[in-house]
This record gives sequence, structure tokens and C-alpha cells, in this order.
Amino acid sequence: MDILYLLIPLSVVLVLLILLGLWWAVYRGQFENVEQEGERILRDG
Amino acid sequence: MSMIPIAAPDTQEANVSAPTPFSSAGADAETLLDDPQEWASFGRQCTDTAEQSGAWESHVVVDGMHCATCALTIEEALLAVPGVAQAEVSAATQRARVVWQPGQVLPSQWLAAVRKAGYRALPAMDAMAREQRVREHRQALWRWLVAGFCMMQVMMYAWPAYIADPGDLTAEMERLLRWASWVLTLPVVIFACGPFFGNALRDIRQRRVSMDLPVALGMAITFVVSTAGTFEPDGVFGREVYFDSLTMFVFFLLTGRWLELRLRDRTVGALEAVMNRLPDSVERRGADGRFERVAVRRLVPGDVVRVLPGEAFPGDGCITEGATLVDEALLTGESVPLARGVGGTVAAGSYNLQSAVLVRMQQVGAETRFGQIVALMESASLQKPRLARIADQVARPFLVLVLLAAGAAALWWWPTDPSHALMVAVSVLIVTCPCALSLATPVAMLSAAGALARQGVLVRNLQGLEALASIDTVVFDKTGTLTRDGMAVHGVHGTPELATDDALALAAALARHSLHPVSRALVAEAARRKLEPFARWSFDEVQEEAGAGLSALVRSTDGAGTVRRLLLGSARHVGSAAAQAPAALQQVFLAWQQEGQVPQQLAVFDLSEDLRPEAAAVMEALREEGIGVHLLSGDRAPAVARLAVQAGIAHWQGDCSPQDKLDALLRLQEQGHRSAMVGDGLNDGPVLAGAHVSFAFGRAVPLAQSRSDFVVLGDDLSLVPQAIGLARRTLRVVRQNLWWAAGYNALCVPLAIAGYMPAWLAGLGMALSSLLVVLNAARLTAPLAALSGASGPGQMPLPAASVAVQPA
Repeated sequence: MDILYLLIPLSVVLVLLILLGLWWAVYRGQFENVEQEGERILRDG
Repeated sequence: MSMIPIAAPDTQEANVSAPTPFSSAGADAETLLDDPQEWASFGRQCTDTAEQSGAWESHVVVDGMHCATCALTIEEALLAVPGVAQAEVSAATQRARVVWQPGQVLPSQWLAAVRKAGYRALPAMDAMAREQRVREHRQALWRWLVAGFCMMQVMMYAWPAYIADPGDLTAEMERLLRWASWVLTLPVVIFACGPFFGNALRDIRQRRVSMDLPVALGMAITFVVSTAGTFEPDGVFGREVYFDSLTMFVFFLLTGRWLELRLRDRTVGALEAVMNRLPDSVERRGADGRFERVAVRRLVPGDVVRVLPGEAFPGDGCITEGATLVDEALLTGESVPLARGVGGTVAAGSYNLQSAVLVRMQQVGAETRFGQIVALMESASLQKPRLARIADQVARPFLVLVLLAAGAAALWWWPTDPSHALMVAVSVLIVTCPCALSLATPVAMLSAAGALARQGVLVRNLQGLEALASIDTVVFDKTGTLTRDGMAVHGVHGTPELATDDALALAAALARHSLHPVSRALVAEAARRKLEPFARWSFDEVQEEAGAGLSALVRSTDGAGTVRRLLLGSARHVGSAAAQAPAALQQVFLAWQQEGQVPQQLAVFDLSEDLRPEAAAVMEALREEGIGVHLLSGDRAPAVARLAVQAGIAHWQGDCSPQDKLDALLRLQEQGHRSAMVGDGLNDGPVLAGAHVSFAFGRAVPLAQSRSDFVVLGDDLSLVPQAIGLARRTLRVVRQNLWWAAGYNALCVPLAIAGYMPAWLAGLGMALSSLLVVLNAARLTAPLAALSGASGPGQMPLPAASVAVQPA
């Protein structure tokens, strides 16, 4: 069970890393205009 | 801070020396707005009344507003600035309207007053406002994600403590789990709860109570108790930790706010989408013939612009090159695209659907019909309906009461268990939801106004929705509302001597000399049947006898044949015995007369007023709703009687002067009826004002002059019963919302005080209760239901000939 002393702090770090990824996605506008990619095939050019 | 000395908006606020979160960021940008050139970009000069002459009306988007009490605060701050004549702030749309005198105050000064009150105001230029919205959305989403992820992980760390048998969990492991929970709760408290704490702090500084204060207090208490439990298990707060509850209710609250934000954008956004229809920039042809992009507000009449397909026209104008289809649904309610060629007129705010065209601007900005529509909608969306004002007044004392109740609950439980006492207080603070109370009315009414706007009915006055829901009588004006202008030919009865088409052609040839509605109807009918103009005969000595008919000397163009007198008009005019005519019809006779002989009848034309095809179905729909229908008209009584029969209206009165109409309306009101008046908005001014609610069919009327509560842009009478139906549903939703909000608070606050409500459940309850209010209002945005049994154009239902007509 000693491994938990490593895994629990690791999970904290992991959550923070995931949040970093989400921050990147939100501020790159990944969640806005989600229909845009689907509509692209209907547009000219 | 800005260097311009201004009077402190409030004596309390004069004490505030610490810079607010938005202190200097906007100050430089704001001084740019003192340039009179810029004023037109976010407002217009008032022309309404003499007392406001020279004043400017500006629209701003207010940032940082989370509840209805904020709106009151901002209003107070703005009104305290000398030179600001009026200020109206709407919490639902986050917009404010400020009327100010350029001689006494500059925009930067009243903007600074808003900033001092702790909010930020941006001029409602669309580009800036849109950028603002994107930023706001991203930040809200990001806060929500942080809270959500941390909540899930904290939940996992809390899990062992719930399921472990005593002794299973070693003390070190428990401490480690608490540590990990604490680390992941930090970003939630510091970042995700930022807006709650920020707003609460601002409210404390301004010494007032707002809806974020109890929530922030609850969060702070929970975090302090849990932190103490983690690091000092033997302290006064005990060793219990509530990280899971804390992150969970923060997550629920943020979920509620996020969904509310999106829903509000969708419901209120319907209004905004209409208002923000004009493009930001447009391609203008310069002196050298090349096109360059300029801001729309730089356009002046006479400019030539190129409008691409898919773009909205920036102003009213006429096409100088190209041909296209336009969508004028907003302006006329007409949903079918209309073809426009060279010389055709296009209106600001309508869409170019097909191909690029060059347009010469004739009117721009506030002059256009679109500008008038926007002005009307903006002022309507800022009004506070009566029910909303009552709710706002209740909200503040209610909050104080909640704070006191929480304190009392904590004191009551303290002797048994200090930690539990604090958590009970936290539940009380979090479970209350005055937001639901103050959102209940405006959200529903704005949703309804948005739904109506999409159908071509503008709401000038939100209060009108409440009045409209309670009416039991509709009074129609005749010309221009029940009827289109003019008359229509229904039937032609020829005689053996003359075929029907020839008779019509002959009558039309004579009628061409007159402008009487009957004459125009005959000419129009002849043109509709594509009859050849009657060239074989020439007409001399055409005479029109008012109220009777036309006569002329007819001779063949080749000079041969006899000269006869041709008569067209009433039975008396042509000397014929009046035939039995259905009451709904007016008959016109054609006859000719040889010198010294009795006139010989050639044909009879049945005419009726050009009743709107949907009128009878509309009356039927109103009657089904239990609404009485009256007809008041300035037209001659027989004509009104005919029309009343045709439309199926039992109560009518002809020969009315405007004063008679007003008297009749007042009589109805004395009898206890609540009446709505439907008129053309121009001739009926005093009557419209006298009714409880008024509709104007405003196709030809300058919108700024119409004084009615509702303006129908389209040409469809069935919008009246539809609007009444929607108003009734709106009031039902408002009532449901208010009952729900009051009931929820009345039930949950005592439960929380008694200690039956854990903090996480309180957070869920609060989020759900305000969400439910907004969702309930969103039901109103559905498209209006069509009238059942509405007859299509061309099928005019004519009632049986002998219907008993009783004067009103």
C-alpha cells in the first residue's frame, strides 16, 4: 500500500496537467463554433 | 483613475479609495469617447421632447452585473452624476441607457461613475460588445471546467473516508488524502469562485447587500472550517472536512450560471440578433471608383456601396447596378424573398440573398426604418415591468433576512457542535435564491418580446404584455386594419345585350377618369382579367357626381353611330330599381341612355371592401378565446354594416369621429371591459392612447410617431390573436416563476435552518431553482402557433345574405 503515497500526489499533478490542457483548449476557442467543422464541407472553396 | 473631477456618486462611495478591479484599465479608452464624433456610434441625439433638447442618449453594455440589485446600484450611481438626466439599467440584458447633456457632462465622466461603483461599462458598439461576450464565455467555461475536474478528484479522495471501517484507514493516509483534497480545492476557491468573492467584496465596500454575498460567505466559511480541520484537527472547528461538499456546490452553482448565461443569450439574444443586424463595415465606392471598406456609421446619404450576397444592407437606398433577391422579413413580416432590380428600393437590415449589387444610400443610421425599429426595441427591453419592480424591492430585505437567519441558526447550533453550526449557516446562505425571484418576470417578458419580434410584432412597452393578457374586448378600426385600402370586385352580372367581360371593360374605361375607390376597383379588376382597353369608344363630358356616380358621352371613335350617355354608379344614379343585394355587398350599376329616354341597364357589379382574407378566421379565433369584438369606423354606416357582416362582427358603429371612438371605448371601459384597440396608428392616436392596450398596423406609419404598445410590421391580422395568446402564456409563466421562486425559498430556508439540508444539496437546489426559471421562460421562444382554420388568400368567406345586424 506504500505505493499510494506516490500515486496520490501523482494524481494531483495529473489533474493539474489535464486542467492545463483544458485551459489551452478553451482559450484557443476549441469550444466555440463547434458546428463550423461540420459545415465546412457545405461551403465553397 | 481619471483626472476629471466628478462629484462622488454617493457619499458612501466617497470613502472608497482602494482601486476597484476595473480601475484604470478602461480610463484611457473612455476619454476617447469624449470626442463628439464617436457619440453617434453608441447612441443618438434625443429629439423626443423639448426638455431633453440637445441631450444625447447612449447605450452601454455593463460588465460584472450578476443580479437585479446591481442594476439599481448602477442606476443610482449614474443619476448622481450632474448632467445625467436619465439612466435605465437592465440586469437581464446587461445593457444600460443613459440620457445626458453634452454641455454639463462627458461620457468619460459617467463611465467613470459606473467604474467607481465597481462595474465596467463598454459603449454598445457591436464589435467591442461581441469581443466582450466571447471573453466572458471563455472565462465562464474555464471556471466551470476547473471546478468540475477538481470536484471529481476531491470526491475520489473523500471516498475512502466514507467507506472505511474504523481503523482501516491509517492516520497518515487520511492526512495525505486531506492534503490532496486541500491542494485541489485551492484552485476552485481562488479561481473558480473568483466572481462570487469579487462581487461580494465589492458589495461590502459599498456597504450594501447583493445576491453574491451570502454565497461567498458560505464558501469562505466552509473553506476555513475544512482547512482548520486539515491542519489543526484539535482546534475549535473540530476535525471534520467538507472539501467534497464545497467543490460540489461550487460546481453546481457554476453549472447553473453557465447554463443560465447560454440560455439568456439565446432568449434575450433573439432581440439582440435583430438589433445587431447591420454589418460593421461595408465596401464604399471612393472618388476614384475603387471600393474600400469603411465603418457603416461613416456612410452618408449619396454614397454608393457594394453589398455582397449574405450581407445585410447598411442603409435605405436604391439599387444602381445588378439585381437580386432580398429578405425583408424583419421589416414587413413578409417571409418570401422579394426580387429587386435596378431602381428597386432596399431597406436597412434586410438581407441580400442572391448576388452582389451596388446601392446608392438614401437614408442611413437612425433615419432608416430599421433604426426606428432598433430604437423602439432598445427602449422596450430596458423597461422594468411592474411585477419585476416589486420582485426587486422584495429581494433586498429578503437578503438581509437570510443573513440574519443564517447567523441565528449558527448561534442556535453552536453549543452542541460548532462545526455543525457553521455548516448549517452555510446551507442557509447557499440555499436561498433571490435570483430566481428577480429573474422571474424580466426573463419571461423578454423571451416573449423576442418571439414576437421574430414574427414582426414589436413590443414598445413590456408592461403592455401584462395588460394584453387580461383583455376581454378587441376594438378594430376598419380602414387599413380590417380592410386593405380600397375595394374589390366580386361579381359581374351582364345582361343579354353585353357580355360580362365587355361590360367590365366598358365600365373600367369610364372609371379610369375617377379616383373613387369603386372606380379604382373596377379598373384593377379589368387589368387583373387582362381585358383590352376599350379603344372603340371615346368619352366626352365626363362628370362625377359625388356620392352617386359617373356619367359621360360616348361615341364611337370612327365617328359613326349614335352618341349615348353612359352612366356608372348607384341605383339611384342610373335610375334603376335597386335589386336585392346581399347586405355584405355594394352594388354598382352600368347603364346607358339615349337622348330623352329611360336609362337601360347594361350590367351590375358586386363590390365589397377588400377585407383581409384572414379577418373572419381571426374574429372566430378571438371569440373562441372569449374575447368580444367591436368595430368602430369613421366610414359611412352602411359600408361599416356590410363589412361587419362579412367579417362576422356583431357590434359595430359607423360614422364615428375620433371623439366618438374614444367615447365608445370609454363606455366599454365603464362597463368593466378591458379593451385592446387595433388601429392604423396614425388617425387613431387618441383612441389608441385611451385603450388599455393598443396595436398599430404600422406598415406606412413612421414608427417614432406611433404611440401604441405593439406595432405590427407585417400585414397579417392573425398576429393579433397570436400576440394575445402569447401574452396570456407569458403571464402564466411569470406567475409560475414567481410562485416557484417564492415557494422554493419558503420551503428550503426553514429546512436548512433546521439542519436537514447538507451544503451540497443546498448548492444543487439553488442552481436548479434559477435554472428552472430561465428554462420555463425559454418555452415562450417557440414560434407562434398558426391560427386553426385560417383561410388562405383568395377564398373570401361570404356569410349568408340575411344576417341580422344590430348596431352597437
